[in-house]
Amino acid sequence: MSDRRRACCVLLSTALLFLFAALPGGGQTPARTAPQIPRMPSGKPNFTGLWQVLGTADWDIRDHSAQAGPFFQLGAIGAMPAGQGIVEGGEIPYTPAAAKQQRENFKNRMKLDPEVKCYMPGIPRANYLPFPFQIIQSQRDIAFAYEFATANRVVNMGKAKEAAVDTWMGTSNGRWEGDVLVVDVTGLNGNSWFDRSGNFQTDSTHVVERFTLADADHISYEATIEDPAIFTRPWKISTVIYRRKEKNAQINEFKCVEYVEELIYGDLKKK
Amino acid sequence: MRHLFLIYGSLVAAAALGQSAAGQGKASAAAKETPAATRARAATSWTHPKTPWGDPDVQGTWTSDDCIGTPLNRPANLGDRLYYTEQELAQRQANLEKQQQNDLVETVAPNARVSTGSPGHWGERARRPCKQTSLVIDPPNGRVPDMLPEAKLRPIPEGAGNNNPKADSWEDFSYYIRCISRGVPGSIFPVIYGNGQQIVQGKGFVTILQEMVHEARVIPMDGRPHASPYIRSYMGDPRGHWEGNTLVVETTNFLGNRTGIVGNGGGTPTSDAMKLTERFTRTSPNEMRYEITIDDPKTYASSFKVGFPLTQEPGYQNFEYACHEGNYAMFDSLSGARAQEKKAAAKAAGAK
Repeated sequence: MSDRRRACCVLLSTALLFLFAALPGGGQTPARTAPQIPRMPSGKPNFTGLWQVLGTADWDIRDHSAQAGPFFQLGAIGAMPAGQGIVEGGEIPYTPAAAKQQRENFKNRMKLDPEVKCYMPGIPRANYLPFPFQIIQSQRDIAFAYEFATANRVVNMGKAKEAAVDTWMGTSNGRWEGDVLVVDVTGLNGNSWFDRSGNFQTDSTHVVERFTLADADHISYEATIEDPAIFTRPWKISTVIYRRKEKNAQINEFKCVEYVEELIYGDLKKK
Repeated sequence: MRHLFLIYGSLVAAAALGQSAAGQGKASAAAKETPAATRARAATSWTHPKTPWGDPDVQGTWTSDDCIGTPLNRPANLGDRLYYTEQELAQRQANLEKQQQNDLVETVAPNARVSTGSPGHWGERARRPCKQTSLVIDPPNGRVPDMLPEAKLRPIPEGAGNNNPKADSWEDFSYYIRCISRGVPGSIFPVIYGNGQQIVQGKGFVTILQEMVHEARVIPMDGRPHASPYIRSYMGDPRGHWEGNTLVVETTNFLGNRTGIVGNGGGTPTSDAMKLTERFTRTSPNEMRYEITIDDPKTYASSFKVGFPLTQEPGYQNFEYACHEGNYAMFDSLSGARAQEKKAAAKAAGAK
């Protein structure tokens, strides 16, 4: 290193030191101050609001190219857009048999995907469907009201409760780890999928979600999924959930049952 | 988990239960206390809780169970009398205790006639006698006002649940049987099960999660105007505010011609002009007064009011009511009707 460059480095280091010294904490804290987030009177982060994910995870939680949809009649509306996946590392660690099952599911998705039939989406899928959801956070429990199919769940923040029965939306027990809302989901009935591409669950699937307010309008969302029946190891998804900021934004009603009755019961109608 | 196909059996059971509110659970001390004593006790020992951000706190899981079996319309012979006498209440209390004893019986006598409906314990029971003679509390005669002539012409979905089970299509069934919705009154009016109402409050919002059919009413409390009249829905567009400790919810923007003002959303469908004003007033830790004013100028000649108590009960909780997901009733009703037609056609062909 030449003297000139050395001098330059020294100068830069001095400048940086000066910069850090000027910050509260005398350079011991990160250069950026923590973003302001809404908080409850207790000091815990307040997630109350209307939220929605962007992106194409609802089509496929893995990285995927654009492709035609199952019905040519829908033209571009029914086609699948390309998108970055939300699976960390890119691969879902299926067992060979489960990987085969996923491919079969995809082939028969119009018949098998619970979303097609307006069934409750389960967890985590409810969080990244292309519909908003409302969080209502009390001083105790936290309610999630999803627009799709009026699915909902209440996260129990009290003493953890064992799932009384298996359900579509599972049993959610929450706890705080600092500013992170951790939701442990058990009792899933195994009928839910992760996306429209046949990625699936079983009744032994266990999901642990982590909600972190990155700032006032963004939730950093992570979920760890484990199920020894179909996965060779636990795996993780992560995405961003955005606050709906439109002045008149509100949760609406999407009771899709009546849009699927012809599909489900059509062959039983009186001719 | 309770299953929709049991609704049919349950309807029969509901008819059998009819006018006498059935009950389970031992007669608690609270049940034997006079209303005046309850009020006095409440007034001296209880202050209305507040949320940490200062709103009245009405959270909890509430149920309308105690008025199961109370008719919407008051029997004409009771005139303008809204409340039962102490003597009548004692009789009803005795009926509840008898019902409880019957519920505990786990076996039937040999050759006894049994129904194929749901077992008794699948239903919910009143825990104390409903003091009211009708759910309608205004007008004074306790009866829903006359329907307008135009309202009488509106189609009522038939199908299962009525005695004329036409099952040409799913559209012959009620919106409840189709697992779509029971509407706002139908989701809280007491029926044989699924009366749970879990209220969760956040700053600026109150939400009411209703077990059947997994409704989640998200009620903005920040004074914002109603959604555009072009946005309509089964459960309408609710807006709330506090009047003292009373939660007042005004709901408009209904689709119209879907659900009616009877338990489970039955009866004559209401119109898109309906406006509902609900008042939730917590009167003690585990009691709440619920009143709803129904104003539907396209259906009824005048507005009217329905009211009943909501209570919190030990161990009572909402479960997931996955109605559509398990609607075998619809498959079975439609396929049964087609099978009957096929059989009838074969018989007719054979007779030729």
